[in-house]
Formats: sequence, structure tokens, C-alpha cells
Amino acid sequence: MAQQDANAFGELVRRHQSQVRGFLRKLTRDVTLADDLAQDAFLHAWNKLDTFTGRGSFIGWLLKVAYTTFLQSRRKSNRYGEVLDEMKQVADDHTVQESAEVSDLDKFLAVLTEEERAVMILSYACGLSHREIGETAKLPIGTVKSIIFRGKEKIRESFDIKDHQYG
Amino acid sequence: MTSKIINMAERMKDAEDLKLEALFSEKPIADDGFSGSVVSRVRRQVWVRRLSLPVAIAIGSLIGAKPLLDVVMALPQILSIIPVDMFGVDKLPIDALPQGSTLMLGAALIMAVTFASRLLEE
Repeated sequence: MAQQDANAFGELVRRHQSQVRGFLRKLTRDVTLADDLAQDAFLHAWNKLDTFTGRGSFIGWLLKVAYTTFLQSRRKSNRYGEVLDEMKQVADDHTVQESAEVSDLDKFLAVLTEEERAVMILSYACGLSHREIGETAKLPIGTVKSIIFRGKEKIRESFDIKDHQYG
Repeated sequence: MTSKIINMAERMKDAEDLKLEALFSEKPIADDGFSGSVVSRVRRQVWVRRLSLPVAIAIGSLIGAKPLLDVVMALPQILSIIPVDMFGVDKLPIDALPQGSTLMLGAALIMAVTFASRLLEE
């Protein structure tokens, strides 16, 4: 029975791995760290499967587990601190030099705080509703909306964007 | 009704939202053995959990067997201190007490039953 459950869970992992890994990659900007976190997140999800009530979407619940795993690892690991320093470096350098290795998304994410980054990614990359983002990041809907508004403002101001011209 | 209106309002994206969505969108990440590795970790965890109780019982039995045997062997001496007429019988049924081999068999049986019941439960 447990073997069958593991197989069924494997199907869920196959279906959602791209979104979970994509979310964590954007959040950490480190492929290896993100994939390690994604593995841990799926393992946590397996252990907590009975807490999924089916009220919201499964991917919303998975991303919540992934975000919690990310926050827990950040408290423990120094690796995330290094990645954060690299991101700050990107933010400092974006007006001085244009590096081919640094994408527009990297530059945009670098000007945001960690919370803003998570909310913006959940909204624009993962396509979650404000309510789902609130549940994932444990924030009230009003706060989610104001974070998105503030994030957009920051991106516009930091890159001197007028009339919503990105890219 | 209210939530439907809220959802509709959320879905009404302006040009800036659409551009941000385009910026954040990336090609789907190829699996490349990722899900296989997660499933093998899950299976390993299932087996570790399945074996942990029987193994713990086995280790406990091994550790506890010697002291338990000593207690059983010492029982006749302990019982000899108690006055015989207290039980209202002439001879105490020492032979009826479980012997070492019986205890070991019992422990093995408990382990097997525990393991089987866990398998059935799963």
C-alpha cells in the first residue's frame, strides 16, 4: 500500500516539480540550492500529506511547503547568505555594467526584499491568486496587495521605467 | 458572490501585469531524474519507518534478555523467602514459570506479530 502511495506521490512530483523548482530557483537564484530545497520540500510534503485538506489547490499547498522549507533552511544555512550577497551585488552593479550573465529578472528581483520577491514570484511566475499567496506566505490579503504594489513601484523606480516598459 | 467578484477583479490585469508575467515566465524545467530521486528518498523513508519498530524491539530484547533471565533464575531464591503457607500450597509451581527458551520465543513472536500488523495496517 505504501509502495503504491509512493508511486502515486511520484506522479504528483513529476507533475509539479517544474513549478516548485522554478519558484525556489527564482527565490534563491541558485540552481543547486533550489533543487536541494525542492527535494526537501517534496519530502516534507510527503510527510504532511494528511494535512492537505483539499480546500485550495494542491500546487498552492505544495508552494506553501516549499516556501516554509526555504525559510527554515535560510535560518540554518550560510549558503543562502552567500546567495543573498551575490544578489545584492547584482543590485549594486545593475546601473554600472550590463552583464550578459545577469538576466533582467535577476536585476528586478535583486531590488526587492525577500518577502516582496516571494510574493511577486508567487503572483507573476506561479500565477497564484492573492488569497492563495496570503495562505502560502501566511500574510493577510491586504498585505499581499500592498506588497505587490510596492514591488512594482520599486521595479519602476529602480530601473527608471515609465509607461510600464519592461525588458 | 463576493469572492467571485474579487477573483474577477484579480484577473483583470493591466499591461504592466502582463509584462511582468512575461518577464517572470520561464521554460518548464525538465525532470532529469529529479522526481525519481524524490521517490527513492520517499521509499527509503518508508522502509526505515517500517523497520524501525521491529529493529528497536529486537535490540531491546537482546539488551533485556540477560537481566530478565537472571531475574527468572533468581525467582526460586526470592520465592523461598516467602512463607510457603502464604499461598496455601505445599510446593510452589516453580517449573510452571516461563523458562529462558520460552521467553526468547515469546519475544520473537511479539516482533513477528508487530511487523505483520504494521504491514497489514499499511
